[in-house]
Amino acid sequence: MAGRRAEAFLGLGFLGIMTTLYLGFQWAPSVAIDAFESPAAQRIFYWHVPAAWAAFIAFAVLFAGSMMWFFKRSPLGWRLHVAGAEAGLACGLITVWSGCVWGAAEWGTPWDWTDVRLNTFGLLTLLALFLVLGRQSQPDGVETRDTFSTFGLYGFILVPFTYIATRIWEIRHPGPVVAAGDDGGSLSGDMTVVLLIGALSFTIFIIGHILMSMRITGLEQRLEQAQNHIDGGN
Amino acid sequence: MDGMTYLTVAYLGMIAGIAIWTWTVVNRSRAIESRLAAVEANLNISASEADSISKEQAE
Repeated sequence: MAGRRAEAFLGLGFLGIMTTLYLGFQWAPSVAIDAFESPAAQRIFYWHVPAAWAAFIAFAVLFAGSMMWFFKRSPLGWRLHVAGAEAGLACGLITVWSGCVWGAAEWGTPWDWTDVRLNTFGLLTLLALFLVLGRQSQPDGVETRDTFSTFGLYGFILVPFTYIATRIWEIRHPGPVVAAGDDGGSLSGDMTVVLLIGALSFTIFIIGHILMSMRITGLEQRLEQAQNHIDGGN
Repeated sequence: MDGMTYLTVAYLGMIAGIAIWTWTVVNRSRAIESRLAAVEANLNISASEADSISKEQAE
């Protein structure tokens, strides 16, 4: 039942993501030719921004799960931690990849080591990579879970820092285009609609992935328990 | 490269990433589900005994 629900979220989210792509190419207006070095590549942002949004949701789930495990020893918390790390890694990599390609087209370089937003988001993605690979290489146990939960807790400080980075230090990465304050952002109405459809679709998609990942972790724990029975451990 | 090439490369990479990620997760879920069903049916274990680490901590 839970598996079917997760798959329904995944299917619906994927449909929305592909609709966003279609609308981004076919319906959303082009930007002014003189506004960007590479106006055509601007359409990358219809997936780039929603993927970054989904990554932030995943990192919030990672933080909540880490808290629940660390302070309450909650099995649900550990499953949330694992799901948040995996979803954060996937969405983080999608965001970094699309950002690098856009940077290469627009700035002439895929990465700028002096830009705070790029570096804090890159660190968040590396943190998720560390958590995913670390969990796979370590035997499951209280110490392992405590260690990774601590990283999940302290790593979350990068999220608000990443969010405000372009508001304080706009170096290379563009500033906010929606919810930008009094001036209302720099997007046209149609562009905003496509972007919001993308954000909603990626949110549904990430919920599906988180549910699916939590289910897998639960199944792995049951399998381990069954193996303990076979080995005579319990 | 022109803008359209960059746009194509970016979206192909993202589509491949999303497809591989989703395919892997769904396959992992189905594979472990069938393995578990076979093992638990033989051992008569209930799902409530799932997380042995949490159980040890609670005791």
